Amino acid sequence: MVKAIVIAKNTFQESLRLRSYQIILVFALLLLGSSQLFSFLTPAEQLKMIKDVSLSGIEFFGMLLAIFASMTALRSEFETNTISTLFSKPLKRSDFILGKFLGMAMVITLSIIMMSVVFIGLILLKQRSFEISLFSALFLIWAEMLVIVAITLAVAAFASTAFTLIFVLFLFLVGHLTGYGLSMAERMKNPVMHVVARFFYKIIPNFENFAIRDQVVVGGTVPISYLLKTFGYGIIYAAIALIICLYFFRYREV
Amino acid sequence: MTKRTYRNASVAALVLLFLLLSPLQDKIDLQRKQMGFEQRLLLMPGQIAGSLALGGFKGLAADLLWLQVEELFHSGQSHKMLPILRSVTFLQPKFITPWAVGGWHLSYNISVMAKDPNEKEAWIQAGVDFLKEGITYNPERYDLYFELGWTFYHKVKNYAEAVKYLELACKFPGPDYLPNVLAHAYEKNGQIDTAIETWREILRSGNSFGHLSPRHIHNLKTYGSTITPETPKKK
Repeated sequence: MVKAIVIAKNTFQESLRLRSYQIILVFALLLLGSSQLFSFLTPAEQLKMIKDVSLSGIEFFGMLLAIFASMTALRSEFETNTISTLFSKPLKRSDFILGKFLGMAMVITLSIIMMSVVFIGLILLKQRSFEISLFSALFLIWAEMLVIVAITLAVAAFASTAFTLIFVLFLFLVGHLTGYGLSMAERMKNPVMHVVARFFYKIIPNFENFAIRDQVVVGGTVPISYLLKTFGYGIIYAAIALIICLYFFRYREV
Repeated sequence: MTKRTYRNASVAALVLLFLLLSPLQDKIDLQRKQMGFEQRLLLMPGQIAGSLALGGFKGLAADLLWLQVEELFHSGQSHKMLPILRSVTFLQPKFITPWAVGGWHLSYNISVMAKDPNEKEAWIQAGVDFLKEGITYNPERYDLYFELGWTFYHKVKNYAEAVKYLELACKFPGPDYLPNVLAHAYEKNGQIDTAIETWREILRSGNSFGHLSPRHIHNLKTYGSTITPETPKKK
């Protein structure tokens, strides 16, 4: 575990030096700032737009960060061959993967905190108060990013950079549409299709579970029980992805 | 650990975790349904909005469409904004403003453009139906009950229906003018005693319209109306 923490710390520091990470972060901050542009709308509409744009921006840029930084953190070890040096020392592969995941979790946590600070600042400027329910949305975006990090590591453990990028982006889109897919399949008369649709619905990560911002920005509240269940879902899915990652990584030539 | 044993252990762990995940997803689905967070099938104009919605950014898509509604309204193209308004309510049914504004456009702005009385009435009814649909998605907020009550009171002049919806609006936290409008609706509906009692309650509760209560109570008792022979007529 100590070795995993050392790897995590190193991954965190390396990721902070990544240029893509910094560019995405600047973009995110610019986007959050640009939400001030809705000043021609009524105050209530303006506030709703700022919340929507900011939360969507945090999720979108967080997702890009999670994919790019996690992919680079693992692939760069292969490309620069530092992985051979690492495994010439008494280091378990499970510690390496766990360390990479924890390091990326730290990166994501830091970036979401930074973007959230800008977001909270914007809201406080506009309405002098900040609804607790908005924290729920930020919390679930963070949990969703942890799942994306784990999935990216799992795919990057056996696939090329391009494939990893396309696959995880595709999975992110599909993961937001599984509910639509299921409801469309349930309208079909074929019972086999129902079973197949339900199977895929349960297997594919359901990122829509984490999407509560549409409700939160219009004043809706989300019970803690829902947050806990969804966080639990995220943890289990991340564990699944890490097991797959470890399986492929264990027998990989380094 | 041999490769085979490791593979079997990994598969067993995955199966176990997926078995844990399945009932958890069912519980999440149930709770989302109870909270009104269910996904709805999308059929809407605008490819940009569609692609954003596909990525899970429905709120952002609704905002873009809402900006288009604003633009069409300010350029006087009220009919064109109806399908877009409908799309916004479809994407974010808990966003109150499109329901309220849509109902108002239908019952007021679009209906006055119609020359045929039957068509005019149909537009007013469309506004009422639109607001009623909005209430089904937002039954725990005063806003749309008030909008509907006001439409019945001011536009349709169906005071019994106005009273019904304004009473519902007053059950939820809202601005001070809610009981004020309700009192006027009682009066128009011929419920003078209830109107007087409502004005008394407005005074007792420290409502910011309380200063009107003594005069209205006096007029209601004396003339049976808050409008007295001395009240200046509107030009």
